This record gives sequence, structure tokens and C-alpha cells, in this order.
Amino acid sequence: MSLNVDRAGSAFTFKGGMLPMTVMELISADPERIREQLAGKLSQSPAFFQHTPVVLSVEKLDEPHLALERICAVCRAHKLLPVAVRGGADPVKQSAWALGLGWFPPQEERTRALESVAPSAPAEAPQPTPEIQGAVGSRIHRGTVRSGQQVSAPDGDLVVLGAVNAGAEVLAGGNVHVYGALRGRALAGIRGDREASIFCHELHGELLSLAGNYKRLEDIDPQLLGKAVQVRLNDDQLTITPLV
Amino acid sequence: MAKIIVVTSGKGGVGKTTSAAAIATGLALRGNKTVVIDFDVGLRNLDLIMGCERRVVYDLINVIQGEAGLNQAMIRDKRVDNLHILPASQTRDKDALSAEGVEKVLDALSKDFDYVICDSPAGIERGAQLAMYHADEAVVVTNPEVSSVRDSDRILGLLSSKSRRAEQNLDPVKEHLLITRYDPERVSDGDMLNLEDIQEILAINLIGLIPESEAVLRASNQGVPVTHDMKSDAGQAYTDTVSRLLGEDVPLRFHEYQKKGLLSRMFGGGRR
Ligand SMILES: Nc1ncnc2c1ncn2[C@@H]1O[C@H](COP(=O)(O)OP(=O)(O)OP(=O)(O)O)[C@@H](O)[C@H]1O
Ligand SMILES: [Mg+2]
Repeated sequence: MSLNVDRAGSAFTFKGGMLPMTVMELISADPERIREQLAGKLSQSPAFFQHTPVVLSVEKLDEPHLALERICAVCRAHKLLPVAVRGGADPVKQSAWALGLGWFPPQEERTRALESVAPSAPAEAPQPTPEIQGAVGSRIHRGTVRSGQQVSAPDGDLVVLGAVNAGAEVLAGGNVHVYGALRGRALAGIRGDREASIFCHELHGELLSLAGNYKRLEDIDPQLLGKAVQVRLNDDQLTITPLV
Repeated sequence: MAKIIVVTSGKGGVGKTTSAAAIATGLALRGNKTVVIDFDVGLRNLDLIMGCERRVVYDLINVIQGEAGLNQAMIRDKRVDNLHILPASQTRDKDALSAEGVEKVLDALSKDFDYVICDSPAGIERGAQLAMYHADEAVVVTNPEVSSVRDSDRILGLLSSKSRRAEQNLDPVKEHLLITRYDPERVSDGDMLNLEDIQEILAINLIGLIPESEAVLRASNQGVPVTHDMKSDAGQAYTDTVSRLLGEDVPLRFHEYQKKGLLSRMFGGGRR
């Protein structure tokens, strides 16, 4: 979740939102090796490197001190904008703050804090890769998506032939279609596609999110609960319309 | 080769041990050579419900650590010929349960028995995962309440990803829903989830429904699995469940609320 600034009316308003964000998972802490690999990537897919915001994840690294400033400089030189750091020990957090970057706790801890029962290992955690994916990667999931499970199609539509139960999460870069009851969380357009929709046969969703804008179960008009609906985005507002 | 059946639930106290004992007893009464294993290391109580707590010498951990043979540790049931109990340790640390050890024990038992019933500890952690890992079938014990259904759903997710059958891409674990402590009156009052709602959410085959029953408490205090009490509703319901596990088509009972007539309401008192 991040905080957006809206400049209309009062000086600002805070809004909750979920922005699609590329995570750059560091496997090496050596700025030189990062530079080499980035240079290679830049020549392959220059479209991706347009001051793209990235979160530097240092969870896989086992080093209390990092050359964070140099790593950031290397990123910026390749038109990537580090906005935050995820994971690492206290010194890493301190130097992130000193560089004006945000700091997120490691993903493990965060999921544990968010859910009473943490998924021990989400079978298919969404891993936005730094490459632009040209192809449309749609996915069909047969059967019920159960509490603690996560199914994603980061590069296309996700079709679930079954229910999405409470405590489960489905994500798609494109549309999410649930041919059953939607009781868990559904996130469509996770990379910012504002045209994406969520369709379901029976709406009970804990959370609906389109391109980072969301509605919780308690924000949903009770009249619509249990209905077959389409959820789409209208001026940053999720609109839910019954399917006839 | 034995069929390995895990009795599991996620949530604690829903009736796993009661069900494991009752189902194992029922299978043995039908002539199947059956062993029931307590995986709840540190909190063993299968032996209490089976009424053999005074005869425990060795346990599952002793066998795994090579301190006793299987035949030394297994206890023969006093009432039913084909039935054996492999108790859990009360004193050992639950980390003594190793994946390799469990595999060795189950492999050995598989050769001699028709059914191996594994009584899982509560939770979704290591102990529960070890108990379910080798299962061919799973009996998912669920009470008619939201938190129990949610936990059963979670366990079903783990069965489809963390079991041996899932990991080795074999046919999936055969999943059965066993609803226990069902109180039709409270269901009809809306205090508890009804049968249809539970089935709709969990979307697996219903193998049985056990009513809330005083016979269960009586049975566990006496150390006689409730399956032996064929006069009781719970005893009959577990017997039906066993028949269905054996592939028979038995109609469901004890799920409908018989509204009491005016007279019995006036003279028979209210709720149990
Ligand atoms: N059908 C029933 N009617 C009434 N009481 C029941 C019924 N089934 C189980 N109980 C009672 O519920 C309690 C818990 O049962 P049991 O020990 O079988 O649950 P469990 O799932 O094995 O618990 P744990 O998670 O602690 O291992 C016991 O007191 C038992 O007598
Ligand atoms: Mg138990």
C-alpha cells in the first residue's frame, strides 16, 4: 500500500492504494555486477528503463552493511528509480532512510502480520520480473482456490473455474474471472492496467482491487452481495454492476 | 498395501481423535486389519479414548529412534481383534518426529495392515504436515462454525500442495468431509452453519455427519470408542461413515431438526 497525494481542493488528501511495483531482488551486493547486468538488460528492453520506480529487495542477501548509495547510483544511471528498500538488518534500514528511501519489512514478516495464518510458502507468489513481458500470459485454474493459497497471472487474464474462498488471493495483470463464488481477495490490473475488470458469479469478496484502487467487503453495497457482477474502474472508483 | 488415511482439521478440539478412534474401530469391526497412530506428540490422548493408556510402554518416537520395535510399541485392542494402537510420546519433544522416521514406520505398517489411520495434531505446522504427508485419503473433520470451516479449507490447500501425492505428481489425496458436533436445532436457529453451506464452501465429498452427542463424552470417559455404542446416535453415525469409506451408499441421518411438539416442549424441557 502507498500514499497518494491529490492536489485538488485542500492541500492534499491521503489515499490508500496498491500500486504495481517492480521488485528488484538483489542476489549480489556488488555494485559492479549489478551494473554489468543492468547494462545488458537496458540494451535488450530499453522501454522498461524509463525512470521506472523499483523497490530494492535485499532479503536474499546476508550482509549487515550494503553499499546502498552506490547501488542506487548504478540504478539511476540505468534509468531505474529506487524508491524503497525491502528487508535487511537495522543498518540497512538506517542508510535507506538517510538516502531518502522508504523501508519495508521483509515480505515474510509482512504477510505474517497481515494474515492470522501465514501461507507457509505461497506456491505461486507474484514475481514481477524486471523484463517487460510482451506476450499475453493468461491462465486457467481449475478447482477451488483455498484459504492461504495464491494464484496469479501477472501477464494476462486469470480464469478460475471454481470458487475463491475466504483467505485466498487471486491476482492478474489483466482481468480476473471467477466462475464461482468470490469470497477471498481479487486483484486485477496489478501492473496498472486501468481497463482491467473483475468478473464473478457470486460476490462476497474480502477485497476487490483494480489497478491499485480497492474496495473492502464492508464498502460494498450489501444489495450486490451474492450477485453475479462485473467490477470496473471509473475515475479511481470501483464500480460494481450486476451481470444480466 | 495399506490405505493410509489421515484425520485432520487445522483447528483444534473439533473431534479428530474421537473420529480417528471411532473410524479405526469401525474398520476393524468390519474385518479390516487396522492400526491407528497418534501423531500428537506431547499431548497424546488417543490411548485414553481407546482405553489403553495403562498398557503403553513404548511409543512412536521410541520406534523412530530405534529404541523399540514396532511390535513392541503397538498395543493390541482388548475389544476388537484386528485393531492396534501406536501411541504418541507424552514426554518427548515433538521435534523428535522426523520425516524419514515417519516414512519408515508407515512403510513397515503398510505391508501388514489394510488401514493405517493417522490422528493428526491441530494446526498447520510440522506435526500436522508430517501426519498428512503420506496419506492416500484424508478425513477433514469440521465443526459447523466459520473458523473451523476456514481452517479445513486451509488444510485442504496444504493437502493439494504439501502431500507426497502432490509432490510426486501422483493421483491427488482423496479428500472426505466429516462434519462433527452438528446440532440441528442450533443450525435451524441460525447459531451454526448448515450442512449445505459447509459443503458449498469446502466443495469436497461428504463422508459423514456426526451429531453433537452426550454419548461421545461418555465414551471417551470410559475409554471405549463410541462406535461400540450402537444405541447412540453418534455410534450409528460413525458406523455409517465407515460404511461410506468402504464404498457403500448409505443415506445421511441425524442432520434434520425434529421440531418438538407442543406437549414435549411443555413437559420435556428446552435445550439439552
Ligand atoms: N460429536 C460430538 N459430540 C459431543 N462432543 C464431542 C463430539 N466430538 C468430539 N467431542 C468432544 O470434543 C472434545 C474434543 O474432541 P477431540 O479430542 O476428539 O478433538 P481433537 O480434534 O482431537 O482435539 P485436538 O485438536 O486437541 O487433538 C472432546 O471433549 C470430545 O469429547
Ligand atoms: Mg486430538
